[in-house]
Amino acid sequence: MEGGVSYARMPRVKIRELKDDYAKFELRDTDASIANALRRVMIAEVPTVAIDLVEIEVNSSVLNDEFIAHRLGLIPLTSERAMSMRFSRDCDACDGDGQCEFCSVEFHLRVKCMTDQTLDVTSKDLYSSDPTVSPVDFSDPSATDSPDNNRGIIIVKLRRGQELKLRAIARKGIGKDHAKWSPAATVTFMYEPEIHINEDLMETLTLEEKREWVDSSPTRVFEIDPVTQQVMVVDAEAYTYDDEVLKKAEAMGKPGLVEIIARQDSFIFTVESTGAVKASQLVLNAIEILKQKLDAVRLSEDTVEADDQFGELGAHMRGG
Amino acid sequence: MNAPDRYERFVVPEGTKKVSYERDTKIINAASFTIEREEHTIGNILRMQLHRDPNVLFAGYKLPHPLQYKIIVRIHTTSQSSPMQAYNQSVNDLDRELDHLKSAFEAEMLKFSRDY
Repeated sequence: MEGGVSYARMPRVKIRELKDDYAKFELRDTDASIANALRRVMIAEVPTVAIDLVEIEVNSSVLNDEFIAHRLGLIPLTSERAMSMRFSRDCDACDGDGQCEFCSVEFHLRVKCMTDQTLDVTSKDLYSSDPTVSPVDFSDPSATDSPDNNRGIIIVKLRRGQELKLRAIARKGIGKDHAKWSPAATVTFMYEPEIHINEDLMETLTLEEKREWVDSSPTRVFEIDPVTQQVMVVDAEAYTYDDEVLKKAEAMGKPGLVEIIARQDSFIFTVESTGAVKASQLVLNAIEILKQKLDAVRLSEDTVEADDQFGELGAHMRGG
Repeated sequence: MNAPDRYERFVVPEGTKKVSYERDTKIINAASFTIEREEHTIGNILRMQLHRDPNVLFAGYKLPHPLQYKIIVRIHTTSQSSPMQAYNQSVNDLDRELDHLKSAFEAEMLKFSRDY
């Protein structure tokens, strides 16, 4: 039915906040299924790179090999290149070995403590064979002179004489396989609330009763205008759908004092990235992955509608 | 020890078709589509998009069992359409909507960085 009638919607986006590891935006004119699909894909199906194989040569630290290997796997690695990398299991360049340049990145770590001071082995001590895939830098650009700044993720601490030497292979993966590959610290969306105050009922309350009702909300959604003594909505999005104000209104004998509806076509997204992928790029990658999934579920050309079962009756029913 | 490998949840095994079509033998214009290695992400957007098609009388999906990594989408249409037609239409419409969403987000990113 190409070129025919279409039931596709045209969603609208408005970005409120955008940082490297954080994004907040409004998504409108679509429904919860699309919003939830985006959320699920961002959390579990956008690929990133993470350490997947560790060969430990020397480890005289207090932590055992498996513990260190697990901690290495959880270090976020910058993964701008992940979308175009190959999965190790599908790579034909290395016959499934999973260690060639197309499907993996090699890391080395060689640290030995030579002083009496305890030495912190951090993610900054990991050296990558590919500069585009490296441990995420968490330093705060605004606090440039602090000694605690510019620190990586601590892997292990070494005392004098202790040594750690290893080789690690990082591979492409998705969060559905292991959480270490999830690029999102968390992704949430909320329905935008629509709040209507029944002004007639509200006028029957005294000022003390209004104050009591306003205070019944655990978050600051309503406030009393000091000039007009009217109750007004100061922050609709602070509402957490806890129904506390509705219960309070019922307890005061005023059911229907306020009406709160969750709009079904407006969503406020909050995306927090681990740093492996920028938050804005994470959203774009999720849309791309969702499109790829849709392409994968298309019917192949050899799928035919077999109407043998109905024969002449089937042809007649279709007006052919 | 006997747990299935995690990648089995999203990698289609060799020799298995991603989507297979099975016509209902009792109802005209009804069919089931079995989609391998998918779950609620695709199933939910497909059925909600199918609900928007006025020619679709029934559209639903189910995961038969958590260890069977597939969804079964059942579609029943009027005589003006057919399950395959409705299925293709919904996939195309979703693709169009995502194209639009991507363009809208990219345009908004440019606008935001300019204003900032």
